Amino acid sequence: MKISTRKSRFFTTVAAAALVATAVVAIPSTAQAADPQCATVKFVTQCAGAGSDGAPYLMIAAANFNGTVFIWSHGIRPAINIPATLAPVGPYTITNAAEPGPLTSVGDMSVVNALVAAGYGVAGSGYSRQSINATEALKANVELIAAFKKKFTTTSKVIAWGNSLGAMHTQKLVETNPELVDGAVLACPAANPNDALIAYFGDALYGFKAYFDPSIKVGGYSTDPVVRQQEQLANIGKVLTVLGKLSAGLSSGAWPDTASPAGKALQAAGIPSRSALLAVGLMAGIPTRSKHVDGTSGPTGAAETYPLAVAPAVAILENMGTVGVAGTLLLADGELLAGGKVYDNSKTDYAARISAERDIFSFALSGNSAVDGILAALAATPRETADASAVAKIPSLIGLKGSITKPTVMIATESDEYTPASIAQWYVDNYDAQFAAAKDAAIAAAKKSRNYQAPVKKLVTLWAKTAPKYSKFTAAGSPDLSATPGAGTGHCLYTSAQWLAAAKMIASAVNTGKFPNQGPIVTAAKKVGLSYDNKFRVPTFKALS
Amino acid sequence: MIRTNRRKLALTSAVLAVVAMTASSLPAQAASDPGVTSTSIKLGITVPMTGIAAPGYNKIPGAMKAYFDYVNANGGVNGRKITLVIKDDQYIPTTAVAKANELILKDKVFALVGTLGTASTKAISASTQLAKRGIPSLFVNTGFSGFADKKAYPTTFSILPSYQMEAKIMGKFLKDKYDGKKLALIYQDDDFGRDALAGFKQAGVSFTTAIPYASGSQSLPATGAGWISKLKAAGTEVTVLFGVSSASTAALANAYAAGYKTQWVLGSVGGDATTIAASNKAYVPLLFGAKGFSFAPAPSDSADEYVKLFQSIYASAQPTQTFDNNVVAGMSNAFLAVQAIKAAGSNLTRAGLIKTIETKGASLANPFLTPLGYSATSHIGATGYWIGTYDQTGALKPDGGKYTVYTTDSGNGPVVESSYKRPAMPAKGLPN
Repeated sequence: MKISTRKSRFFTTVAAAALVATAVVAIPSTAQAADPQCATVKFVTQCAGAGSDGAPYLMIAAANFNGTVFIWSHGIRPAINIPATLAPVGPYTITNAAEPGPLTSVGDMSVVNALVAAGYGVAGSGYSRQSINATEALKANVELIAAFKKKFTTTSKVIAWGNSLGAMHTQKLVETNPELVDGAVLACPAANPNDALIAYFGDALYGFKAYFDPSIKVGGYSTDPVVRQQEQLANIGKVLTVLGKLSAGLSSGAWPDTASPAGKALQAAGIPSRSALLAVGLMAGIPTRSKHVDGTSGPTGAAETYPLAVAPAVAILENMGTVGVAGTLLLADGELLAGGKVYDNSKTDYAARISAERDIFSFALSGNSAVDGILAALAATPRETADASAVAKIPSLIGLKGSITKPTVMIATESDEYTPASIAQWYVDNYDAQFAAAKDAAIAAAKKSRNYQAPVKKLVTLWAKTAPKYSKFTAAGSPDLSATPGAGTGHCLYTSAQWLAAAKMIASAVNTGKFPNQGPIVTAAKKVGLSYDNKFRVPTFKALS
Repeated sequence: MIRTNRRKLALTSAVLAVVAMTASSLPAQAASDPGVTSTSIKLGITVPMTGIAAPGYNKIPGAMKAYFDYVNANGGVNGRKITLVIKDDQYIPTTAVAKANELILKDKVFALVGTLGTASTKAISASTQLAKRGIPSLFVNTGFSGFADKKAYPTTFSILPSYQMEAKIMGKFLKDKYDGKKLALIYQDDDFGRDALAGFKQAGVSFTTAIPYASGSQSLPATGAGWISKLKAAGTEVTVLFGVSSASTAALANAYAAGYKTQWVLGSVGGDATTIAASNKAYVPLLFGAKGFSFAPAPSDSADEYVKLFQSIYASAQPTQTFDNNVVAGMSNAFLAVQAIKAAGSNLTRAGLIKTIETKGASLANPFLTPLGYSATSHIGATGYWIGTYDQTGALKPDGGKYTVYTTDSGNGPVVESSYKRPAMPAKGLPN
């Protein structure tokens, strides 16, 4: 027993040292065969293989492998190449490169290294298709788990984890193949409850079309692959151009020269473009705080009214860069897969969407009368109607039940502009209802058996809350986009320590069968800058509220 | 026997488990409610201490603290001393949310008290989950009628009459006093003004000129000038201003600069002479002859026992500050909070305090000259106004030399003269 323990410690030490020395980056770039190609260097075995559809994958474990493997699902990658002319969105070239774990920055393998050093196995696929790829990801992950167990035969626990779209794949894997998974980590998760995520992106683009450039597409992309790609790139270019013009007119209130007739009428009525921009953000549910704009601060020397009148719109401006680009790519790809238009706002009540916020942002929106005018201007832009058959296919493409059946740690960012925190709230609300039902069932069962078996909490949500103040400004008075993003902002900007804290928490829960009491979770979360607060809520999706 | 005992044990365990579960679903009890110990109560307030709305409003927390300190020096409430944590929200609703979160999560206050501004109050309520957390938000300083809705805001209590009530009473006054005159209305273009428009509509008053302004825009130089040019062009004879004091200042300043004269009728929120004087003392005399509305005794009314007490307390606590409407508002707020906490009893819980205000709130001692409307179905505070005229010093004096109070509701009820007699102040103004 003693020998075994010493041996284990020895391997851990050596493996850790080896990882530090080599870092897990020397990975075979391709693998053609069904059986992976493996190499062991300094007690660390790295394998590269490909699934039955050609999806490349990576598997890594050290000599001190403890039997628990983390199966990683990476986030979304565009399905089209994007040229450098569309900077900063491009240049991008489609890649199916496998990812064995979360990268906190390009090439940063610190999380993977730490897990392997601690005795865990890691594995991840690159998937055979990018963009919307739930079907391909599910298949790849199932095969990957089998491949890992085949290679590392002492595997006893499987933890699925992923970020963004990868979190959707993770949840899908748990829902579809619960027998393969013991626990999950959902980070900045994507989900589309009742098509709310489609509405989020579509509403934002529709607003831009209605006010700032009628030629912006919300949907209806060509079925011809070449034309469809050109249309997407053109749309991204238009969105970026409008954003540039809105940025230039933030203080003056000037409208883009591409504004719609309705937009120009608003301009003539003295309503600044920033008010319409903010209204679009509120209609869609885009966070009013962004990576570099806290929405309440102004540059030194700015008017005292800046935080009330301008700042929220600046945050929307920064967030809209992500939303406009991602929305274009996702709606186009969604239409391709579903076989028709998927976004529908034919019955959307935009006045209701902003009713709770029109007072909170009153000055920035230029007051109630201006808001009424902004809303009325929407009437000039025809609503979008989806194809019923395409909508019917959406659940098979990106549908989730959202039920939590395995121990799950969720990490969510309060002001995430890409996968809004409303998704995490949807999970939380679902689980609250699920847990309450389980409790009722347990009570009912106890009345018969006289033996109460309390249900075990399976979901722990760790929030990256947005700091109140973090904006920095350049000498010229513009938001400093080179500054470190504010805490609790941006998409999946988690630190290595945060990833590892989540990994440690789920690994422990998987082994013990339950999460610890509230105190240790609060402490562990706080230590890495996250928050565990069961009563914390973010707004639900605008489309669902 | 053994089997029976085992069965009894199992049954007992099951019952205990169910009891435990049931208990855990009940609201938190005293031991687990943050911000209260056997010797202390921690309250929190978020108000604009800096920024565009700070002048005047930034005196409210100091006034509240002065009264709490007075109570503490006299033994506290049920043996507990009150501390007040003050946060500056700059009148920015999203900042108010952040500050309220600090109060709740870091300072761990027992309750919020005196939150100022409709937008900030709405934002806090929505974003900090006051209702879900069961946190009382006592006596918010806004007259938005929605906050009286117990269903929508189950833990929030108003203290002001609603703006809708005020507009109805003002509407009756306008019809009685200025029938046939050209009326104009300047109003804050949000829920504040929306309430007012609803009240004026119910009162059957129409304006020849209506000028909305976005909250905050009154601080822009061009805004007030634009109002005056519109009023002049319309030949307005009577101008109602339903906005905050900084809007009144902008209107008076520009009227002063343009040599424009009109009969001003100022809503209760915007008629604070101290705030106007903070901008420019020269504007204060412009208030002379303006009509104003209030539900509290006038700050200059030293004959009123509450005002007399408050003046005395404030003079000791803040000897360099002017005693004005904001001070009366702050101290009245603190006074009512103390009365409510006292009435909630020694086993102080958040749920108990809320229940107490709903059941006993209407009969709590308070300085106001109108009845309180708290009940199991309504969280409205004061329910009426008296009408007065500003003198040359900016003091609002009741018309006819006495407070004639009118009451109404936020619905279709009539405006009636009130026969309400305020109960005598508790001895020394303490929660005895």
